[in-house]
Amino acid sequence: MINISYNSFLVIDTMNLMANVLINVVIAFLLGSLLLGLHRKIMARIQLRPGPPVIQHLLHSLKFFFKETSFPKTASMPFYVSITCLYCAIWILAVIIGPVTYGTLLIIFAIYAVYKIVEHNAGSSSGSPYGKLSCVRAVFSAAAEIPLFAVLAIIFLQTGTINIGDIVTYQAVHGPLIFSIPLAALVFFILILSKSPYSPFSITKGKDIISGFETEHFGVLRGYMMLSESIAWYVLLWVFLTVFFGPLSINGYLIGMVSITAITALINATTPILNPNHSVMSQITLAIVGIGGSLLLMFIV
Amino acid sequence: MNDLSYLIYILVVIIGSIVGLLISYKKHGEPFIFNDMDSISVIIAIIGWILLFNYGLFVSIIGFISAMIIISIALFLVTLVIGMRPGYGRKETLIGIVISAMLWFISYMLV
Repeated sequence: MINISYNSFLVIDTMNLMANVLINVVIAFLLGSLLLGLHRKIMARIQLRPGPPVIQHLLHSLKFFFKETSFPKTASMPFYVSITCLYCAIWILAVIIGPVTYGTLLIIFAIYAVYKIVEHNAGSSSGSPYGKLSCVRAVFSAAAEIPLFAVLAIIFLQTGTINIGDIVTYQAVHGPLIFSIPLAALVFFILILSKSPYSPFSITKGKDIISGFETEHFGVLRGYMMLSESIAWYVLLWVFLTVFFGPLSINGYLIGMVSITAITALINATTPILNPNHSVMSQITLAIVGIGGSLLLMFIV
Repeated sequence: MNDLSYLIYILVVIIGSIVGLLISYKKHGEPFIFNDMDSISVIIAIIGWILLFNYGLFVSIIGFISAMIIISIALFLVTLVIGMRPGYGRKETLIGIVISAMLWFISYMLV
Protein backbone atom coordinates (compact mmCIF):
# COMPACT_ATOMS: atom_id res chain seq x y z
CA MET A 1 0.00 0.00 0.00
CA ILE A 2 2.80 2.39 0.98
CA ASN A 3 4.71 1.42 -2.15
CA ILE A 4 1.69 2.15 -4.36
CA SER A 5 1.15 5.59 -2.86
CA TYR A 6 4.89 6.34 -3.11
CA ASN A 7 4.83 5.29 -6.78
CA SER A 8 1.77 7.39 -7.50
CA PHE A 9 3.48 10.40 -5.89
CA LEU A 10 6.53 9.72 -8.04
CA VAL A 11 4.36 9.59 -11.18
CA ILE A 12 2.61 12.86 -10.25
CA ASP A 13 5.99 14.48 -9.52
CA THR A 14 7.38 13.35 -12.86
CA MET A 15 4.27 14.56 -14.68
CA ASN A 16 4.50 17.93 -12.91
CA LEU A 17 8.14 18.20 -13.90
CA MET A 18 7.33 17.32 -17.52
CA ALA A 19 4.51 19.91 -17.62
CA ASN A 20 6.83 22.48 -16.03
CA VAL A 21 9.55 21.78 -18.61
CA LEU A 22 7.06 22.02 -21.48
CA ILE A 23 5.54 25.29 -20.22
CA ASN A 24 8.96 26.86 -19.60
CA VAL A 25 10.35 25.83 -22.99
CA VAL A 26 7.30 27.30 -24.78
CA ILE A 27 7.57 30.48 -22.67
CA ALA A 28 11.31 30.71 -23.48
CA PHE A 29 10.63 30.37 -27.20
CA LEU A 30 7.70 32.80 -27.34
CA LEU A 31 9.13 35.44 -25.02
CA GLY A 32 12.62 35.09 -26.54
CA SER A 33 11.13 35.62 -30.01
CA LEU A 34 9.16 38.66 -28.86
CA LEU A 35 12.27 40.12 -27.22
CA LEU A 36 14.33 39.60 -30.38
CA GLY A 37 11.50 41.23 -32.35
CA LEU A 38 11.57 44.16 -29.94
CA HIS A 39 15.35 44.32 -30.32
CA ARG A 40 14.96 44.64 -34.09
CA LYS A 41 12.19 47.23 -33.73
CA ILE A 42 14.23 49.42 -31.34
CA MET A 43 17.28 49.20 -33.62
CA ALA A 44 15.11 50.27 -36.55
CA ARG A 45 13.63 53.23 -34.66
CA ILE A 46 17.10 54.41 -33.62
CA GLN A 47 18.16 54.24 -37.28
CA LEU A 48 15.03 56.26 -38.24
CA ARG A 49 13.30 53.32 -39.97
CA PRO A 50 9.76 52.16 -39.08
CA GLY A 51 11.02 48.58 -38.64
CA PRO A 52 8.99 45.36 -38.70
CA PRO A 53 6.28 44.58 -36.10
CA VAL A 54 7.53 43.15 -32.80
CA ILE A 55 6.02 39.73 -33.58
CA GLN A 56 7.96 39.55 -36.87
CA HIS A 57 10.78 37.40 -35.43
CA LEU A 58 8.27 34.87 -34.12
CA LEU A 59 6.31 34.78 -37.40
CA HIS A 60 9.60 34.43 -39.27
CA SER A 61 10.62 31.46 -37.07
CA LEU A 62 7.25 29.74 -37.51
CA LYS A 63 7.29 30.40 -41.26
CA PHE A 64 10.46 28.34 -41.71
CA PHE A 65 8.75 25.24 -40.27
CA PHE A 66 6.36 25.26 -43.26
CA LYS A 67 8.97 26.02 -45.92
CA GLU A 68 10.47 23.39 -48.19
CA THR A 69 13.73 22.04 -46.80
CA SER A 70 16.52 21.64 -49.33
CA PHE A 71 20.02 20.32 -48.77
CA PRO A 72 23.21 21.65 -50.37
CA LYS A 73 25.18 19.15 -52.46
CA THR A 74 28.27 19.91 -50.40
CA ALA A 75 26.58 19.19 -47.05
CA SER A 76 28.12 16.43 -44.93
CA MET A 77 25.13 14.29 -43.98
CA PRO A 78 23.82 13.37 -41.44
CA PHE A 79 25.99 15.82 -39.51
CA TYR A 80 24.41 18.78 -41.30
CA VAL A 81 20.93 17.83 -39.99
CA SER A 82 21.91 16.56 -36.55
CA ILE A 83 23.77 19.75 -35.65
CA THR A 84 20.53 21.77 -35.74
CA CYS A 85 18.89 19.20 -33.43
CA LEU A 86 21.88 19.49 -31.10
CA TYR A 87 21.61 23.31 -31.22
CA CYS A 88 17.97 23.03 -30.14
CA ALA A 89 18.63 20.31 -27.54
CA ILE A 90 21.36 22.20 -25.67
CA TRP A 91 19.24 25.31 -25.17
CA ILE A 92 16.20 23.26 -24.10
CA LEU A 93 18.55 21.61 -21.59
CA ALA A 94 19.56 25.11 -20.46
CA VAL A 95 15.89 25.93 -19.78
CA ILE A 96 15.59 22.75 -17.70
CA ILE A 97 18.77 23.55 -15.74
CA GLY A 98 17.83 27.24 -15.33
CA PRO A 99 14.20 28.33 -14.90
CA VAL A 100 12.80 24.83 -14.20
CA THR A 101 15.17 23.28 -11.65
CA TYR A 102 17.48 26.17 -10.57
CA GLY A 103 20.40 23.80 -11.07
CA THR A 104 24.10 24.44 -11.31
CA LEU A 105 25.65 27.26 -13.33
CA LEU A 106 28.46 24.93 -14.38
CA ILE A 107 26.11 23.05 -16.71
CA ILE A 108 24.97 26.36 -18.25
CA PHE A 109 28.68 27.16 -18.73
CA ALA A 110 29.16 23.76 -20.40
CA ILE A 111 26.10 24.39 -22.60
CA TYR A 112 27.59 27.69 -23.73
CA ALA A 113 30.87 25.93 -24.55
CA VAL A 114 28.98 23.28 -26.56
CA TYR A 115 27.02 26.10 -28.25
CA LYS A 116 30.29 27.54 -29.58
CA ILE A 117 31.17 24.07 -30.92
CA VAL A 118 27.70 23.85 -32.52
CA GLU A 119 28.26 27.23 -34.22
CA HIS A 120 31.59 25.92 -35.51
CA ASN A 121 30.17 22.63 -36.75
CA ALA A 122 27.00 24.12 -38.27
CA GLY A 123 29.28 26.37 -40.32
CA SER A 124 31.61 23.62 -41.45
CA SER A 125 28.95 20.95 -42.14
CA SER A 126 27.27 22.88 -44.96
CA GLY A 127 30.41 23.11 -47.08
CA SER A 128 29.66 26.74 -47.92
CA PRO A 129 32.59 29.22 -47.89
CA TYR A 130 30.47 31.60 -45.77
CA GLY A 131 29.79 28.81 -43.28
CA LYS A 132 33.46 27.91 -43.29
CA LEU A 133 34.50 31.48 -42.46
CA SER A 134 31.89 31.59 -39.72
CA CYS A 135 33.20 28.27 -38.42
CA VAL A 136 36.73 29.69 -38.13
CA ARG A 137 35.36 32.80 -36.45
CA ALA A 138 33.39 30.63 -33.99
CA VAL A 139 36.71 29.22 -32.76
CA PHE A 140 38.09 32.77 -32.42
CA SER A 141 35.04 33.98 -30.53
CA ALA A 142 35.01 30.87 -28.31
CA ALA A 143 38.50 31.85 -27.20
CA ALA A 144 37.07 35.18 -26.08
CA GLU A 145 33.57 34.31 -24.86
CA ILE A 146 34.53 31.35 -22.70
CA PRO A 147 36.80 33.63 -20.57
CA LEU A 148 33.82 35.99 -20.29
CA PHE A 149 31.74 33.14 -18.91
CA ALA A 150 34.59 32.38 -16.49
CA VAL A 151 33.06 35.16 -14.40
CA LEU A 152 31.35 32.23 -12.66
CA ALA A 153 34.53 31.86 -10.62
CA ILE A 154 33.97 35.33 -9.14
CA ILE A 155 30.36 34.42 -8.31
CA PHE A 156 31.61 31.26 -6.59
CA LEU A 157 34.24 33.17 -4.61
CA GLN A 158 31.64 35.71 -3.49
CA THR A 159 28.77 33.37 -2.65
CA GLY A 160 30.55 30.06 -1.96
CA THR A 161 28.18 28.21 -4.29
CA ILE A 162 27.62 27.64 -7.98
CA ASN A 163 24.02 26.49 -7.61
CA ILE A 164 21.47 29.00 -8.97
CA GLY A 165 18.95 28.27 -6.20
CA ASP A 166 21.60 28.85 -3.51
CA ILE A 167 22.81 32.05 -5.23
CA VAL A 168 19.24 33.38 -5.15
CA THR A 169 19.00 32.51 -1.44
CA TYR A 170 22.36 34.25 -0.82
CA GLN A 171 21.07 37.38 -2.55
CA ALA A 172 17.82 37.31 -0.56
CA VAL A 173 19.98 37.63 2.57
CA HIS A 174 22.93 39.79 1.40
CA GLY A 175 21.33 41.86 -1.39
CA PRO A 176 21.77 41.58 -5.17
CA LEU A 177 25.23 40.61 -6.44
CA ILE A 178 25.27 43.50 -8.93
CA PHE A 179 26.16 45.80 -6.00
CA SER A 180 28.89 43.57 -4.53
CA ILE A 181 30.53 42.39 -7.79
CA PRO A 182 29.55 44.98 -10.43
CA LEU A 183 32.54 44.28 -12.69
CA ALA A 184 31.55 40.62 -12.90
CA ALA A 185 28.04 41.72 -13.91
CA LEU A 186 29.57 43.96 -16.58
CA VAL A 187 31.56 41.02 -17.97
CA PHE A 188 28.42 38.88 -18.11
CA PHE A 189 26.60 41.74 -19.82
CA ILE A 190 29.34 41.83 -22.49
CA LEU A 191 28.67 38.11 -23.04
CA ILE A 192 24.95 38.84 -23.52
CA LEU A 193 25.85 41.71 -25.85
CA SER A 194 28.05 39.34 -27.87
CA LYS A 195 25.10 36.98 -28.30
CA SER A 196 22.64 39.70 -29.38
CA PRO A 197 21.88 40.15 -33.10
CA TYR A 198 23.93 42.76 -35.04
CA SER A 199 26.25 43.10 -32.06
CA PRO A 200 29.74 44.61 -32.55
CA PHE A 201 31.08 41.25 -31.28
CA SER A 202 28.85 38.90 -33.32
CA ILE A 203 31.57 38.04 -35.79
CA THR A 204 30.15 34.57 -36.51
CA LYS A 205 27.00 36.08 -38.00
CA GLY A 206 28.51 39.25 -39.50
CA LYS A 207 26.81 40.42 -42.69
CA ASP A 208 30.17 40.33 -44.48
CA ILE A 209 29.70 36.54 -44.45
CA ILE A 210 25.94 36.72 -45.28
CA SER A 211 24.44 34.95 -42.23
CA GLY A 212 27.52 33.02 -41.19
CA PHE A 213 26.87 29.46 -40.05
CA GLU A 214 23.13 29.86 -40.71
CA THR A 215 23.56 30.78 -44.39
CA GLU A 216 23.12 27.29 -45.83
CA HIS A 217 20.41 25.93 -43.53
CA PHE A 218 16.93 26.10 -45.04
CA GLY A 219 13.33 25.24 -44.15
CA VAL A 220 12.75 23.26 -40.97
CA LEU A 221 16.47 23.26 -40.12
CA ARG A 222 16.51 27.06 -40.16
CA GLY A 223 13.30 27.01 -38.11
CA TYR A 224 15.06 24.91 -35.45
CA MET A 225 17.98 27.33 -35.48
CA MET A 226 15.74 30.36 -34.99
CA LEU A 227 13.80 28.57 -32.25
CA SER A 228 17.08 27.80 -30.47
CA GLU A 229 18.25 31.40 -30.86
CA SER A 230 15.10 32.69 -29.17
CA ILE A 231 15.43 30.19 -26.30
CA ALA A 232 19.14 31.07 -25.95
CA TRP A 233 18.38 34.79 -25.68
CA TYR A 234 15.73 34.15 -23.01
CA VAL A 235 17.99 31.81 -21.03
CA LEU A 236 20.98 34.17 -21.05
CA LEU A 237 18.82 37.08 -19.89
CA TRP A 238 17.21 34.88 -17.24
CA VAL A 239 20.59 33.72 -15.92
CA PHE A 240 21.92 37.30 -15.83
CA LEU A 241 18.88 38.63 -13.99
CA THR A 242 18.70 35.69 -11.57
CA VAL A 243 22.39 35.63 -10.73
CA PHE A 244 22.97 39.37 -10.39
CA PHE A 245 19.60 40.87 -9.43
CA GLY A 246 18.48 38.42 -6.79
CA PRO A 247 15.03 36.98 -6.29
CA LEU A 248 12.75 38.66 -8.82
CA SER A 249 9.02 38.48 -9.45
CA ILE A 250 7.70 37.64 -12.92
CA ASN A 251 7.11 41.36 -13.55
CA GLY A 252 10.69 42.02 -12.44
CA TYR A 253 11.99 39.48 -14.95
CA LEU A 254 9.83 41.00 -17.69
CA ILE A 255 10.99 44.56 -16.98
CA GLY A 256 14.61 43.39 -16.71
CA MET A 257 14.50 41.41 -19.96
CA VAL A 258 12.87 44.26 -21.88
CA SER A 259 15.37 46.78 -20.44
CA ILE A 260 18.45 44.67 -21.28
CA THR A 261 17.07 44.01 -24.78
CA ALA A 262 16.54 47.76 -25.25
CA ILE A 263 20.06 48.58 -24.00
CA THR A 264 21.68 46.00 -26.29
CA ALA A 265 19.56 47.26 -29.21
CA LEU A 266 20.76 50.82 -28.51
CA ILE A 267 24.40 49.69 -28.42
CA ASN A 268 24.07 47.51 -31.53
CA ALA A 269 22.25 50.18 -33.53
CA THR A 270 24.99 52.74 -32.92
CA THR A 271 28.13 50.63 -33.21
CA PRO A 272 29.56 48.93 -36.29
CA ILE A 273 30.56 45.26 -36.24
CA LEU A 274 34.20 44.88 -35.24
CA ASN A 275 36.89 43.16 -37.22
CA PRO A 276 37.25 39.57 -35.81
CA ASN A 277 40.68 40.31 -34.30
CA HIS A 278 39.49 43.51 -32.68
CA SER A 279 36.32 41.84 -31.42
CA VAL A 280 38.25 38.99 -29.77
CA MET A 281 40.87 41.30 -28.27
CA SER A 282 38.20 43.67 -26.90
CA GLN A 283 36.31 40.78 -25.32
CA ILE A 284 39.45 39.26 -23.80
CA THR A 285 40.56 42.67 -22.49
CA LEU A 286 37.14 43.25 -20.92
CA ALA A 287 37.19 39.74 -19.42
CA ILE A 288 40.65 40.27 -17.89
CA VAL A 289 39.77 43.75 -16.58
CA GLY A 290 36.42 42.50 -15.21
CA ILE A 291 37.68 39.33 -13.56
CA GLY A 292 40.99 40.84 -12.38
CA GLY A 293 39.23 43.98 -11.11
CA SER A 294 36.62 41.92 -9.26
CA LEU A 295 39.35 39.83 -7.60
CA LEU A 296 41.25 42.97 -6.60
CA LEU A 297 38.09 44.55 -5.19
CA MET A 298 37.29 41.38 -3.25
CA PHE A 299 40.76 41.25 -1.68
CA ILE A 300 40.93 44.98 -0.94
CA VAL A 301 37.37 45.51 0.40
CA MET B 1 0.01 27.56 -12.17
CA ASN B 2 1.92 30.80 -12.08
CA ASP B 3 4.00 29.78 -15.10
CA LEU B 4 0.86 28.64 -16.90
CA SER B 5 -0.86 32.01 -16.48
CA TYR B 6 2.33 33.67 -17.69
CA LEU B 7 2.22 31.43 -20.81
CA ILE B 8 -1.46 32.28 -21.38
CA TYR B 9 -0.67 36.02 -21.22
CA ILE B 10 2.15 35.63 -23.75
CA LEU B 11 -0.10 33.63 -26.09
CA VAL B 12 -2.85 36.25 -25.79
CA VAL B 13 -0.35 39.03 -26.57
CA ILE B 14 0.86 37.15 -29.66
CA ILE B 15 -2.67 36.35 -30.91
CA GLY B 16 -3.77 39.96 -30.30
CA SER B 17 -0.76 41.31 -32.21
CA ILE B 18 -1.32 38.96 -35.15
CA VAL B 19 -5.05 39.78 -35.35
CA GLY B 20 -4.30 43.51 -35.07
CA LEU B 21 -1.70 43.29 -37.82
CA LEU B 22 -4.05 41.37 -40.13
CA ILE B 23 -6.99 43.72 -39.52
CA SER B 24 -4.94 46.88 -40.03
CA TYR B 25 -3.38 45.60 -43.26
CA LYS B 26 -6.82 44.61 -44.53
CA LYS B 27 -8.17 48.03 -43.65
CA HIS B 28 -5.15 50.07 -44.77
CA GLY B 29 -3.45 48.58 -47.81
CA GLU B 30 -2.15 51.94 -49.02
CA PRO B 31 1.62 52.55 -49.24
CA PHE B 32 1.43 55.64 -46.98
CA ILE B 33 0.18 56.31 -43.44
CA PHE B 34 -3.05 58.16 -42.62
CA ASN B 35 -2.56 60.60 -39.78
CA ASP B 36 -6.22 60.74 -38.71
CA MET B 37 -7.40 58.66 -35.78
CA ASP B 38 -9.58 55.57 -36.05
CA SER B 39 -12.51 55.82 -33.62
CA ILE B 40 -12.99 52.04 -33.26
CA SER B 41 -9.30 51.58 -32.41
CA VAL B 42 -9.55 54.35 -29.80
CA ILE B 43 -12.53 52.63 -28.15
CA ILE B 44 -10.76 49.23 -28.16
CA ALA B 45 -7.58 50.78 -26.73
CA ILE B 46 -9.48 52.63 -23.99
CA ILE B 47 -11.45 49.51 -22.96
CA GLY B 48 -8.29 47.39 -23.02
CA TRP B 49 -6.14 49.76 -20.97
CA ILE B 50 -8.96 50.43 -18.48
CA LEU B 51 -9.36 46.68 -17.94
CA LEU B 52 -5.59 46.21 -17.61
CA PHE B 53 -5.00 49.06 -15.16
CA ASN B 54 -8.14 48.48 -13.10
CA TYR B 55 -8.54 44.69 -13.16
CA GLY B 56 -8.61 44.64 -9.34
CA LEU B 57 -11.57 46.99 -9.35
CA PHE B 58 -13.45 44.85 -11.88
CA VAL B 59 -12.70 41.64 -9.96
CA SER B 60 -14.14 43.22 -6.80
CA ILE B 61 -17.23 44.46 -8.69
CA ILE B 62 -17.86 41.30 -10.74
CA GLY B 63 -17.04 38.59 -8.23
CA PHE B 64 -17.31 35.50 -10.43
CA ILE B 65 -14.67 36.47 -13.03
CA SER B 66 -11.05 35.73 -12.13
CA ALA B 67 -8.30 38.33 -12.54
CA MET B 68 -6.55 36.09 -15.10
CA ILE B 69 -9.51 36.24 -17.49
CA ILE B 70 -9.82 40.02 -17.20
CA ILE B 71 -6.08 40.54 -17.73
CA SER B 72 -6.16 38.16 -20.73
CA ILE B 73 -9.05 40.07 -22.34
CA ALA B 74 -7.31 43.37 -21.56
CA LEU B 75 -4.01 42.21 -23.07
CA PHE B 76 -5.81 40.97 -26.19
CA LEU B 77 -7.53 44.34 -26.72
CA VAL B 78 -4.40 46.34 -25.90
CA THR B 79 -2.14 44.35 -28.26
CA LEU B 80 -4.83 44.41 -30.95
CA VAL B 81 -4.17 48.16 -31.23
CA ILE B 82 -0.42 48.16 -30.44
CA GLY B 83 0.17 45.32 -32.89
CA MET B 84 -1.29 47.22 -35.83
CA ARG B 85 0.68 48.01 -38.97
CA PRO B 86 3.76 50.19 -38.25
CA GLY B 87 2.57 53.81 -37.98
CA TYR B 88 -0.96 52.94 -36.83
CA GLY B 89 -2.37 52.55 -33.33
CA ARG B 90 0.18 54.74 -31.51
CA LYS B 91 -2.04 57.74 -30.75
CA GLU B 92 -4.93 55.44 -29.87
CA THR B 93 -2.71 53.56 -27.40
CA LEU B 94 -1.51 56.81 -25.83
CA ILE B 95 -5.12 58.03 -25.37
CA GLY B 96 -6.07 54.64 -23.88
CA ILE B 97 -3.18 54.78 -21.38
CA VAL B 98 -3.92 58.38 -20.33
CA ILE B 99 -7.66 57.79 -19.81
CA SER B 100 -7.20 54.49 -17.95
CA ALA B 101 -4.45 55.98 -15.77
CA MET B 102 -6.78 58.84 -14.87
CA LEU B 103 -9.56 56.39 -14.02
CA TRP B 104 -7.15 54.30 -11.93
CA PHE B 105 -5.99 57.44 -10.10
CA ILE B 106 -9.58 58.56 -9.43
CA SER B 107 -10.66 55.12 -8.17
CA TYR B 108 -7.48 54.91 -6.03
CA MET B 109 -8.23 58.32 -4.48
CA LEU B 110 -11.87 57.38 -3.82
CA VAL B 111 -11.06 54.01 -2.25
